[in-house]
Amino acid sequence: MSDPVTRFEEGLARVTDAFGPAFAEAHDEHALRTANARFAGPQGELTVLMKSMRELPGDRRREFGQAANAVKQAVTEAFEQGLLRLAQLARAAEMSAPALDPTLPGRGVRPGRLHAITRVRDELVDIFASLGFDVAEGPEVDLYDYNFDKLGFPPDHPATDMQDTFFVTREEDGAPATTLLRAHTSTVQVREMLRRKPPFAIVSPGAVYRRDDDATHSPMFFQIEGLMVDEDVSLSDLMGVLTLFVKRLLGDDVPVRFRPSYFPFVEPGGEVDVGCTLCRPWAEGGAERSAACGVCKGTGWLEVLGCGMVHPVVFENVGYDPEQVTGFAFGMGIDRIAMLRYGVPNIKLLYENDIRFLSGF
Amino acid sequence: MRASLEWLKALTGVSAPAAEVAERLTSIGVEVESIELRGRGLDGVVVAEVREVSAHPKSKKLSLVRVHDGEGEVEVVCGAPNVPAPGGRVLFARVGSTLPNGMAIGEREVAGVLSRGMICSETELDIGTGSDGIFVFGDADPDASPGTPVAEALSLEDAIFELGITPNRPDCLGHLGLARDLAAVYGVPFEVPVPRAPSRGAHAGEALFAEGMPRIGLHFAGTISEIGEPGRLLDVGVTIEDAERCPRYGAALVLGVTSAPSPFWLRYRLHCLGVRSISNLVDATNLVLLEEGHPIHGFDLAHVRGRRIVVRCAHEGETMRTLDDIERALNVDDLLICDGEGPVALAGVMGGADSELRDDTTDVLIECAYFDPRSVRRSSRRLGLHTDASHRFERGVDPNAIPRVLARAASWMARLGGGTVVAEAIDVVAKAIEPVTIRLRHERLTRLVGTPVDSSETRTILERLGCEVALSDEAGAPDVRFDVKVPTFRPDLGREVDLIEEVARIRGYDKLEPRVPRVRPSRTGTPAPILFERQLRQAAAAAGLFEAITYSFVAPGALAAARVDAHAVPLKNPLSEERSVLRTSLLPGLAEAASVSARHGATDVALFELGTTFHRTPAAEPLPEERRALAFLLWGAPERWLGDRRPYDFYDAKGAAESILSALGAGPVEARLDDALDQDAPHLHPRRRARLSVGGHSFGSVGELHPEVAEALGLEGRPVYVEFDVPALRAALVAAGLPQAHALPRFPATTRDVAMLVDEALLAGDIERALLEADDLVESVSLFDLYRGEHVPEGQKSLAFRVRYRDPGATLTDARVDRTHAALLALAQGRFAAELR
Repeated sequence: MSDPVTRFEEGLARVTDAFGPAFAEAHDEHALRTANARFAGPQGELTVLMKSMRELPGDRRREFGQAANAVKQAVTEAFEQGLLRLAQLARAAEMSAPALDPTLPGRGVRPGRLHAITRVRDELVDIFASLGFDVAEGPEVDLYDYNFDKLGFPPDHPATDMQDTFFVTREEDGAPATTLLRAHTSTVQVREMLRRKPPFAIVSPGAVYRRDDDATHSPMFFQIEGLMVDEDVSLSDLMGVLTLFVKRLLGDDVPVRFRPSYFPFVEPGGEVDVGCTLCRPWAEGGAERSAACGVCKGTGWLEVLGCGMVHPVVFENVGYDPEQVTGFAFGMGIDRIAMLRYGVPNIKLLYENDIRFLSGF
Repeated sequence: MRASLEWLKALTGVSAPAAEVAERLTSIGVEVESIELRGRGLDGVVVAEVREVSAHPKSKKLSLVRVHDGEGEVEVVCGAPNVPAPGGRVLFARVGSTLPNGMAIGEREVAGVLSRGMICSETELDIGTGSDGIFVFGDADPDASPGTPVAEALSLEDAIFELGITPNRPDCLGHLGLARDLAAVYGVPFEVPVPRAPSRGAHAGEALFAEGMPRIGLHFAGTISEIGEPGRLLDVGVTIEDAERCPRYGAALVLGVTSAPSPFWLRYRLHCLGVRSISNLVDATNLVLLEEGHPIHGFDLAHVRGRRIVVRCAHEGETMRTLDDIERALNVDDLLICDGEGPVALAGVMGGADSELRDDTTDVLIECAYFDPRSVRRSSRRLGLHTDASHRFERGVDPNAIPRVLARAASWMARLGGGTVVAEAIDVVAKAIEPVTIRLRHERLTRLVGTPVDSSETRTILERLGCEVALSDEAGAPDVRFDVKVPTFRPDLGREVDLIEEVARIRGYDKLEPRVPRVRPSRTGTPAPILFERQLRQAAAAAGLFEAITYSFVAPGALAAARVDAHAVPLKNPLSEERSVLRTSLLPGLAEAASVSARHGATDVALFELGTTFHRTPAAEPLPEERRALAFLLWGAPERWLGDRRPYDFYDAKGAAESILSALGAGPVEARLDDALDQDAPHLHPRRRARLSVGGHSFGSVGELHPEVAEALGLEGRPVYVEFDVPALRAALVAAGLPQAHALPRFPATTRDVAMLVDEALLAGDIERALLEADDLVESVSLFDLYRGEHVPEGQKSLAFRVRYRDPGATLTDARVDRTHAALLALAQGRFAAELR
């Protein structure tokens, strides 16, 4: 058995020779750390050697200590350089590796979507709110009186019978008044007129119900109606406001046309057409008017709004003096605007709630 | 309503292209929905004269016809049974022409013989409905030499407008009324033509009202008593028993007519206007209907028993067979036209089968009457019998046009049927309907219209529309005022405002100057509950839910299946049993939407709806109660990332609820067990559900659907359902107030983890709260691991909490944290029998 000095010298020499090649062989961080532990770890060769220094003769300890520390420092430096080298290699490899696949789906919460009707309703409400209209809502089941009589519908108007309007049974509960699912949100206008004093301007969005169920009708659909009452509201005001509305909704370049029409609760009455938003015959780059246009059927116009000056009978029915106040009213189908806006081919799609439809646009 | 441009032109003298006329009509409220050009695309179809007809060598059904088409003789093979003898004229499609049905005419061999062209039927040219043979010119048809293009020879060119006539304008349901409006918008004078007997060969519209024709004069009385043909004493009487329902009834007689096909011009006009040609006699009544807009009815006088007309209401249980050969059960509300023995027509709706005009009719009684619009409407709707006549009567015809219309009808009947008009006619006025006079204040007009209008223009417009306008003699009026006598053909004009519309309408709405009202800031704006619903919807969508809108009416069975309140408000007249009651919950609708999606291949759905539910109320309440609810349904196993699939569960739903509330700025959502859910939410799984609240205010429930409910609704697996009471949630958030900001802590926190085994039945939230409340230094406690399985005994679970300690006023020392933490551990052991790990 050799003496401690020889063992120490031999050991130090072995470490000195070995750590360089061992570190060089290490091709990843783990191997490098393992190699480093072999020398400088708690049980490492160098560590053990240094612990054994107390066996050395006292006069040589200082000399050997310096030698060992020098080796230790060399190992540490080599290890750190090794780390650096590996990091550089890894970075270089990463830079030349194949790119990640950006086409894989994103991860995280996927938001759902608002129904097209909601989106359009919010947009319409916002436009009218910015024009000074208050938003008003009312019950969906309402009195026959509010739905028809107060609006001046003659008692035998086709809309008033069981053919066209859903009536609600309350006999079982013993209620005397005739109630129905409102056929328009004009019921809200009646309620607001009974509640408020002019001047005011309101819009009332909401679900309405008519006894129609075919390819182009849904028994439930959505409307927004507006009403402005003041001392001197005129047909010209109506046209100004609705023109502004259409331009805000569809764009400044879209033409607007007012033409006379008839509704029992307005006089004069009218309808508003807007230039066809599909074939855009008026626009630069728009199509020729063509019967092939599935939306306007070649007329170049789309009917979007009914409107008119509130009929004096309506004012009388809610206790206003038609000599004192005048007003205009208008209404439109939110569904129709949504269908135009999103190219929905069939109104039934709006109420089927097929998730493919709801998430599709 | 369909209208012929040529007819309108003839009545007004207006001459303008179809598109322009259509635009003008639309601009005054007579909406032209579409324009159909007639007599176009028939190039190459000409009049040809038959020169020779011979048998086809191979076929008995075919013949060989040599025709002269103006350019030369051509031989064609013809299969029609009615090829005229040489000299007869036919319509011939030359080789190279294309028929309206798309057929291209070429030379082709028919049974071995080359045919160079085709002799056409009316149907092939879309000029009529005759298809059992080729078109052959008759004596009554215009002369046209061979080679004349068909459109010219038969005056085919026309534009047919499909009109959307609003229900207030019965006068526009005839060409005369349309012509009056058209003349008014073009500013040309218009006069209703005086009925005259048309000369032979006249074209309707062109020479119809021309000068020089004998004027028909009927002498009206209560009865007719005249010797018609020698030896025939006529004695016809009319009695009105119900003056309210039938204020006026007129009748005229035309004797000695012969039923025959109508001349081509009439058949063609009717064809273009969508009316089937029947015979000259029936066509005459339809021609007058289309012209005057006033339905008339022709009775075969031989079948008017007793030669008496009685207008009365039906008796209970009475029946009659209408023209369409259906035996109709009548009730006391139906107005009948009867003869001496029984009903012969359902007044204003349809004639009876027994007295209709037929091939052997020789004497005709023409009825022209005014029936109460409501009465006609009721009968028509009750019997489901909507006819051209009822359509007009229920809107209101002109009671005072009866003499003229009757004269017009009689003259046409006589002209077309070859008979003679009995000069004496009947006109019974049971209740006079007089024109009304309305005062029009010009200041009011200007105020309502908003754009200045000249009063002379007002006057001119109203006069063109048939009103008599006089300056009012009102003393001291500050503005121009007119007294306007409104003709009875305009029942829609009853108030001043109606006249104002007439002026605005004929002037054109495009002449008004749009203006925007002065800004008037709103005090209320959009009410908070409405804004809140919008926020809720947006938050729900942001939480990954797709918005559905389902019908408010559902099947009663669906409510029962969903175990929600089945004591629903029923509809009196539902479209079907499936949609016969108002929903008391959003669950059935969402379940149906989920099923629809699944049927179409969806493997998972995340749907929400914010809508109204309806609930019965006691009689004292005028209306059912309406509540606003937000509900969502999670169902199936969504793909999370690259095939990482896991079914939706309770915690996904709770998470969505939390994320919605968080978006609204609410504090933490509390979900707790609550046995009252047995009553409040029986649709949820009794062991897998919770009550939701915020700040101590309950606002909804979350849970798996009860397995039996899921099954009954057709949803496999474990769908999860959440429902919020929207007003309750809003109230809770209002009560909680706005979230408030706090100063950020200045001293660092220290965290310690603790893992423990506890009994499965213990709630993590209870332990969490106990730890949180154990010491002031505890700032937060959060569960970060839940484990069951290996190394955890059955009936137990391992929970790991991270506890954060902080002293807001000082830096914590390790010793202090150790002490506090040890106390927490002891508490867990003591109160929850936790075994620390």
